[in-house]
Amino acid sequence: MPFTEEEWLPTLDELEVDEINMSSAPLKAGAHYFGKYCEKDCKEYMLCSSEEKDPRKCLKYGKRVTRCAINLYTQIRENCAEEFTKYWQCIDHADVNMNLSWCQATQAIFDQCMKEKLNFERPKLGYLSKTKVLDSSRPRPQRNLPLPDPVPELPDSADLPASETSDKRKFGRATGTFWNVLW
Amino acid sequence: MASKIRQEMPPEGGYKEVQWKRVMPKAHWSGYRTFLAFAAINGAAWFAYKWQMAYEAKRRLDENDARVALTPLLQAERDRMFLRQMRKNRDEEVAVMKDVPGWKVGTLWGEPIFHNLAERFPVVMGEEIYMHSRKADLEDRFYERRRH
Repeated sequence: MPFTEEEWLPTLDELEVDEINMSSAPLKAGAHYFGKYCEKDCKEYMLCSSEEKDPRKCLKYGKRVTRCAINLYTQIRENCAEEFTKYWQCIDHADVNMNLSWCQATQAIFDQCMKEKLNFERPKLGYLSKTKVLDSSRPRPQRNLPLPDPVPELPDSADLPASETSDKRKFGRATGTFWNVLW
Repeated sequence: MASKIRQEMPPEGGYKEVQWKRVMPKAHWSGYRTFLAFAAINGAAWFAYKWQMAYEAKRRLDENDARVALTPLLQAERDRMFLRQMRKNRDEEVAVMKDVPGWKVGTLWGEPIFHNLAERFPVVMGEEIYMHSRKADLEDRFYERRRH
């Protein structure tokens, strides 16, 4: 067990949230809208997880991401259920990689519905892959790493006595090799 | 009955001449035309290749968008699952080892498992997660024997 009893681990109640109960095809079908709709929460969570490298400290942000996702997919279900179902079923039966390029016809219908009923614009191609800067209010993690004492400074080489061998043998032969021993 | 012998004779007009001269194939295409055809086909193929590459790049970018968008959602869920399992495992270890004198949970008889002065979050081995489950479940998960 990597955690002692003194270390804090969240209790099971603290970890209990409404999980999103969907398979990969509908998740992928709504992924672009999710990335745009929950952009702030997602970025905040990913920044936390990459800075802290500690899932215990980013629980709050992770819960926000899941809540936002449930919020979005509920809206889709209430407004564009039929179009969305057709779209994700197309993706599900496209190929093993759930390639989006096979389903552009159903995707256009779904996009149309999202624009008319929810006024959600599908983000441009490559928008979500772009690197963006997040202005976060979360303080930077401070880590107090106990370091050893610094190495003391070396004495000045001019004060040291001259070496006896340095002027006698200009290029020292490597010692301890096989040929050296033979010689 | 007198047999009438019929002598086999060459055909009328004589045999055909024996072809002794080497027959060269007829050149349909001149060298210039061949090179022109080479350039045309390769040029067309180059454009087709570029078009295909552009299409593939767009497709991959779209796929990458979906992947990037979903990563936080899946990772947040995975983090919670992991912490839940760690909590369960620790509670289980406390319950199992409560009668053993000198045993400290999370250590080996009081000796810490990690040298962790900076108090980083440890990299937990997969065996730790499946510590209190059946070995078959662990192997299912590790070697992907689970039906999916």
